[in-house]
Amino acid sequence: MLGWAHANLFSNRFNTALTIISSVILGAALWFGLQWLLLESDWSVIATLGGRMVIGPYNTEGACPGQNCFWRPQVALMLVTMLLGMGWVVAGGGLTKRIAIGVVVALAAFSLLPYSLDKMGMDVRLLLLANIPALALGWALARYTPLGTARWVAILAVGTFLVTLVLLRGVEGVPGLQPVSVNHWGGLMLNLLLAVAGITLCFPIGVALALGRRGNLPVVKLLCVVFIEVFRGVPLITLLFMSQTLVPLAFPENFPVNSLMRAAIVITLFSAAYMAENIRGGLQALHRGQAEAGQSLGLKNWQITLFITLPQAIRNVIPAIVGQFIALFKDTTLVFIIGMQDILTYSRAFIQGNPEFIANAQELFIFLAIVFWIFTYTMSSVSRRIEQNLGVGRR
Amino acid sequence: MAAIPRGLTYKGIPLWRHTQVIQGALQVVSGLLVVTLVAWFFINISGAIRDRDIPYGFSFLSREYQTPIGQHFLPYESSDSFLYAFGVATTNTIVVSIMGVILATALGIFVGVSRMSGNWIVSKAALVYIEFFRNVPLLIQLFFWFYIVLSLPQVRQGHVIAERIYINNGGISLPWPYATSPDTGLLFIGLAVVAAIAGVVVHRAMTRREVMTGATSYPVALGIVTAVLISATCWLAITIASGNAPFYISTPEPQGIFARPAGGFTASGGLIALLTGLVIYTSSFIAEIVRAGIQSVGRGQTEAARSLGLQYMKTLRHVTFPQALRVIIPPLISQCLNLTKNSSLAAAIGYSDLTNVATTMTQTAPAVSIFILIMLAYLAMSLTYSLIGNLYNRRIRFS
Repeated sequence: MLGWAHANLFSNRFNTALTIISSVILGAALWFGLQWLLLESDWSVIATLGGRMVIGPYNTEGACPGQNCFWRPQVALMLVTMLLGMGWVVAGGGLTKRIAIGVVVALAAFSLLPYSLDKMGMDVRLLLLANIPALALGWALARYTPLGTARWVAILAVGTFLVTLVLLRGVEGVPGLQPVSVNHWGGLMLNLLLAVAGITLCFPIGVALALGRRGNLPVVKLLCVVFIEVFRGVPLITLLFMSQTLVPLAFPENFPVNSLMRAAIVITLFSAAYMAENIRGGLQALHRGQAEAGQSLGLKNWQITLFITLPQAIRNVIPAIVGQFIALFKDTTLVFIIGMQDILTYSRAFIQGNPEFIANAQELFIFLAIVFWIFTYTMSSVSRRIEQNLGVGRR
Repeated sequence: MAAIPRGLTYKGIPLWRHTQVIQGALQVVSGLLVVTLVAWFFINISGAIRDRDIPYGFSFLSREYQTPIGQHFLPYESSDSFLYAFGVATTNTIVVSIMGVILATALGIFVGVSRMSGNWIVSKAALVYIEFFRNVPLLIQLFFWFYIVLSLPQVRQGHVIAERIYINNGGISLPWPYATSPDTGLLFIGLAVVAAIAGVVVHRAMTRREVMTGATSYPVALGIVTAVLISATCWLAITIASGNAPFYISTPEPQGIFARPAGGFTASGGLIALLTGLVIYTSSFIAEIVRAGIQSVGRGQTEAARSLGLQYMKTLRHVTFPQALRVIIPPLISQCLNLTKNSSLAAAIGYSDLTNVATTMTQTAPAVSIFILIMLAYLAMSLTYSLIGNLYNRRIRFS
């Protein structure tokens, strides 16, 4: 202990001075921070917003007239926990297991929040608690049926996403599933939906763009370069804004594309342009010998790309790719510019509309920052774990 | 040469397996697809313009904009034209991005070096800083700083420091130098630039002398003295020639019924929040870049420097950092470009940057034209950044 302190804190005069100065600064920051936290801060704005941060205006009278719609996102959530349960088995425990258990424990804890029953009904609480059997069901499905393979989990994940969309959107004429306009989708749910759609789609598009830019077809190359540079050259917020004012003009009237889809498409294409550059970096860093070895084995070009160069290139730039995913998730907050009510916009509109909470805006933003941080930090932990499993830097 | 068996004459590669044919066909098809798509968009847009009477073209640029712009660094009146207003907004973006880039780079290097420090507390504090600020959406951070400025006391109860600096929920007002007249002001700025160049020349000459002869030549001190002396002489000359000093300091003073500070320079809450948020957010990325750059320099370099007797800071300054720069510069430039693009989030906190003003313009001007203008403006900025980056990169290559 003393040896450690000597080596890391007091090894020489400069280091000792640094230790003392930084301790004083950090101590002061901690002192004032704790004082603010314990004596001045008031977190009631978060308690008041509560579940509305998660679903936004989804369950309001305007979205779901005369009906309770809260169960639809909740059922979708249960499907996701089921998938997590399956992922736990398929990944063989480890980080996936910890994430799955963490999510379910958090959800179960939410069901015990000390709200009065008319603010948070028994049905809401029970549906939250139902995530525990959902996780168990997913776990059992993967463990005891042939569904427990990575391929099935991927297929079911896509299925879950589609079912979620249908559940949230509703079906005309089905009792209990009346349609809810996408303009009423909001809260963290909207951020997650946009992020999931964007992350899944931007990766293949980015790979295609990178290959097109690296390929030897001049026309395709030119198109890819123009696409990448245009989307990288302009801020996302401008593109989103234009997606609402300009893009509707470019399609015939009554073309079935709503504002949510437009936002999702723009976010996806924007990320794909960045993704393409990341993957191109990985391809460039790869030694020529890899492709040449493939050629000398008599592999066709597409086989070389698909089985030799691309996997290695992607493996080498995993941190950059996940960084782009994280950036995409953070960028979902920018939909404020087109009036969509994501968690940030909705919460901010709430304090604007209720001036008694304006003095507590800081608490709200700190809370939102922590929420986002939990998600993004989990993503970067997963990325580090994948890198470890693939042995990047050790082979 | 072996005879080709009868009935098996070589007819060349069949068309559908001929690489060049396949590639050519692929290109034609993809090109045609894109051209068709673009043409379809174009037809739809022009149809919409015709049917719904949507304005188009660039004739609006000379019209009066008629909308106030909150904070601006160029003189601006509501009666100015759209084009000029667009220029004012672009200047706002450029000012924020230049200030942001300088501050974020400085802070990022500081945090990145702290992250590499052997001191446990400093290193861990930098780690927490980096991991927190780069994983939280910039927009949340901007709102956080913006509402801190908003929660400051009102103008009348605001803080006043030394009767010169006013801090309140309208922003911060500081004393600021202004040109007495545009001519002498510009003249002096031009001469000051010349003086700075002269200073750099002296600095270089003295450095060379020190390196060549080993005689102590005080390159930094002499360079600064040269620059200051030349500028001071110019200042005096202009003052005597025109009767006025080229610049004067304007101090803010409360005025009017609201006691708003007038004069000096007022940074609005939006500007302060935008700059703080951008600098902190970007510096966390730059810190990681700096750390990666320093780590890319082989241990042997540091050890060699230490065994020559260089101290920690000198090793960093003269050995590690110059080599790390080669790795640092390219991603650093792209971060600076990101900062410039991220400044478009100003729309959320009411600072009149390029995107904010342009989106407001779409209410009274054709969206298509505005979008083209925005693209051109950002394209020009990113090209400037890559130009600077490439020039710098060429200079620090192994020579």
